[in-house]
Amino acid sequence: MKKIHIIMLVAIAAAIAVLFTMMQDLTTYDSIESARSKQGKFVHVIAKLDKTKPVEYDPIKDPNHLVFYAVDSLGGQAKVVYRNSKPQEFEHSERIVLKGKMQGDVFECKEILLKCPSKYKDDPNQQLKKLDESGATTAAEEKKY
Amino acid sequence: MRYEGEHLLIGQIGHFFAILSFVASLVATLAYFKSAQVKIESESLSWKKMARTAFILEVFSVLAIFATLYLIIYNHYFEYKYAHQHSNRSLDMKYLLSCFWEGQEGSFMLWSFWHCVLGLFVIRSAREWEAPVMAMISLAQVFLATYIAGIYFFDVKLGTSPFVLMRNEFPDAPVFGDPQYLFKYITDGNGLNKLLQNYWMVIHPPVLFLGFASCLIPFSFAVAGLWKKDYSGWVKPALPWALFSGGILGLGIMMGAAWAYESLTFGGYWAWDPVENASMVPWLVMVAGIHTMLISKHTGHSLKASFFFIPLSFLLVLYSTFLTRTGVLGDTSVHSFTGEGNSLYWHLIVMMLAFAGIPLVLYFKNNKAIPFIKKEESMSSREFWMFVGSLLFFISSLYIIVLTSLPFINKLLGTKWALGADTEYVYNRVMVLVAAVIGLLTAVTQYLKYKDTPRKYWMGKIMWPTLIALVASLLTGFFGNISYDKYGAGYLAAIHFALFAGIYTVLANGAYIFSVLKGNMKAAGASISHVGFGLMLAGILISSSKKELLSLNQTGIAVPGLKDVKGKDENPLENVTLIHAVPTPMGKYTVTYEGDSTVDKDERVYFKLRFEQRDTSANEVKEVFYVYPNAFLIKGDGGTQLSSNPGSRHYVARDVFVYITSWLNPENIKDTSTFRSNWVKKGDTVFYSNGFITVNNIITANKNDNKDLPVVDSVWLSELTVHAKDGRQFTAQPSYFIKNNQASVKVDTVMAQNLVFRIDKVQGGRIDLGIKESDAVMRYITLKAYQFPWINVLWLGTIVMVAGFLLSMYRRVKANIASRSNSL
Repeated sequence: MKKIHIIMLVAIAAAIAVLFTMMQDLTTYDSIESARSKQGKFVHVIAKLDKTKPVEYDPIKDPNHLVFYAVDSLGGQAKVVYRNSKPQEFEHSERIVLKGKMQGDVFECKEILLKCPSKYKDDPNQQLKKLDESGATTAAEEKKY
Repeated sequence: MRYEGEHLLIGQIGHFFAILSFVASLVATLAYFKSAQVKIESESLSWKKMARTAFILEVFSVLAIFATLYLIIYNHYFEYKYAHQHSNRSLDMKYLLSCFWEGQEGSFMLWSFWHCVLGLFVIRSAREWEAPVMAMISLAQVFLATYIAGIYFFDVKLGTSPFVLMRNEFPDAPVFGDPQYLFKYITDGNGLNKLLQNYWMVIHPPVLFLGFASCLIPFSFAVAGLWKKDYSGWVKPALPWALFSGGILGLGIMMGAAWAYESLTFGGYWAWDPVENASMVPWLVMVAGIHTMLISKHTGHSLKASFFFIPLSFLLVLYSTFLTRTGVLGDTSVHSFTGEGNSLYWHLIVMMLAFAGIPLVLYFKNNKAIPFIKKEESMSSREFWMFVGSLLFFISSLYIIVLTSLPFINKLLGTKWALGADTEYVYNRVMVLVAAVIGLLTAVTQYLKYKDTPRKYWMGKIMWPTLIALVASLLTGFFGNISYDKYGAGYLAAIHFALFAGIYTVLANGAYIFSVLKGNMKAAGASISHVGFGLMLAGILISSSKKELLSLNQTGIAVPGLKDVKGKDENPLENVTLIHAVPTPMGKYTVTYEGDSTVDKDERVYFKLRFEQRDTSANEVKEVFYVYPNAFLIKGDGGTQLSSNPGSRHYVARDVFVYITSWLNPENIKDTSTFRSNWVKKGDTVFYSNGFITVNNIITANKNDNKDLPVVDSVWLSELTVHAKDGRQFTAQPSYFIKNNQASVKVDTVMAQNLVFRIDKVQGGRIDLGIKESDAVMRYITLKAYQFPWINVLWLGTIVMVAGFLLSMYRRVKANIASRSNSL
């Protein structure tokens, strides 16, 4: 066997070993309910901001303390605590990805990814919604006169 | 119905050219194919003439599409969906071009444009390679043209035209019932994404796309080599193109990093975001391919590896387009490109299959005829270690792309994997070692000769650079105080190892230019690139491991008897709130939020922050500077929200970055109240308009009797309870610190009662408690502030590396021209 082949084999073995250790770091996407059953395990949860409940954030008191409620598509609900500033355009978000772990009934969130409609400008449904709104508001203004 | 005020002709012209570009590139592909296939020279020549005409027509069409779309955006013809979606009337002229790259169609147009430009250079220079190479380029152009054609092919819609009208796209919207809709309803566009309104976003996409487009040329040469059965002849003319790719793609990627650094709120330049990874992986494979091409040009080894790496690089460009443009990455990226739905998904898959199939089929058809050298490379040869380096590049690219593809893999396998708690560390811990080993390889391999190297020669040349690098990196590590221990000693050791590798790379490759090349800069392209790589590595390591969070919320001072409610060591709190006009300590600075302002015709608010650093021994102001972060105000369902742009202060050796994370809109705020002084001790009670305040405890501590005081010399902490008339109770902990004879104050508030507390003076166990009853809501901002040291080393390294690539390319072009005129 050539030396180069030995090196290639070593490299491939190293790559497999690295990928294998990596697998242990991998986590999963979960619903709020399944996250609740995996207490203390780091997971990703795709959810929505529950806009019927208040978002608690008082930067003067503590700029690193955000509390809100999240609901997911299966109807699961949880209180979420995020020890950082409120993400920008948070209330505009359509969908949020929460990375963290469930501690008791509270989801301790380490990172939040937002999906905002402003980023979804190419989405035809958003476009249509906006168009309808512009038509409706302008029509309403016209009626006033 | 006849609509008023529409400009339909220009869109029809644009669409005509979109179709023409499709047809012309199809004709060019077929004619170049025939020209490459037919054996009779005169026939081949006439096909080539026809193909050239078609290709030039194609170039003209692409330019015409650009011009028409530009006019539509420039003239605010909002009846066109593209203008409506990506621009508005208030958009600054200089960002008009950015509107192109915001949309899917515009990015494909840009890509196609660069193929045209590069194609013209190929026609000028490729000679006998022109026909087969241009056939591949034209084929790529056929595919790109379909993305913006927007035509129906039987029942399948091919691509989306940038010239579609709003009213045709949304026929059901009621506004189109009115013939005057353009005057009444659709009077302005949606505007450009705020993040793209940045000068980096005007120049970064064109450079990056030039890099992507340039990967096609070496690909086409490799295919042409297989096709024309000139298995090793393609390497020489393709090499300058591959070097061009390596340089420009590298530059484009790093410009994206600079954009992230300057304009985004990642808090850094690289976050291992899927979009960043997807652009980096083709570059890694291209660099692997450049090295195997060099080996095969000089020794004949590694030819098969070149046939693997070079086509793979372009395929990875297509694959990264697929990942980032079709929405398969879904929720993992902060960049969110929506998918064009299933049509683009399959469209790109077909293109990937075509461009993977062609080299694969040709390769296996010719597998036996491709020459290779039986004799194995010597361990003391340059080619052996260069190949090891290429292999490392390839494996690291595999690691990155597999992890980046997780969402797509989930989609295929129905699994639900995701990267763990610390995404960046997952990449960093592997890549830091990969980069270090590659650095070492460049250092030792430069001094090796092709085929075989005398041991004594090599040892003699490399000894001094090695020793000096060892000393320099130890000094840097020791005096630079690099002690990044967040991930333990193993990772810190890896950082120091990589730092040595970076410095070694710079010194060894730099020394090579003088000791071996005798200062002949023209021949030093490779060494210069390697020096740039070493500088980048050192810059990345130093700036990242010594990145400092200035806005660390320093309430976590351990004092016995007082429970700390906020700070935790393992999870530093990153935001600090500044109340208007109240100086607040932050790292070695005292920062004051002095005000904010808006400018006409600008949707942004600018904040004025005063940074002051005092010389503690002489008690005088050492340095004062202002930073002006700003933020767009975005109105939407949940009220007005912020989209922040950092403000920065640049120095040669460090940058200070500040960005606003939250702001209370201060409209109608008039706060005229002042602090009322009250000398109190433990157990005292003070009244205010809506109740009373008890002083529960006053704790004093200083360094002499408390060793747990890491941050300050002495401290006075108070615990207050506010008893409101309605029975509610609140707590507050204003405090007073002394550090190096400098007093600083931590203000605390009870927002519900509009109370602000601070300790103004201290005397033994008594404190002067300042109480302010604000008659208005407070003006404040919340911010994050970072300091990056030596980030300029990274940018300098980038420029040096790119210069090295381009210098190598220039020399090889010259050499190719010279060898051709010699052979004639």
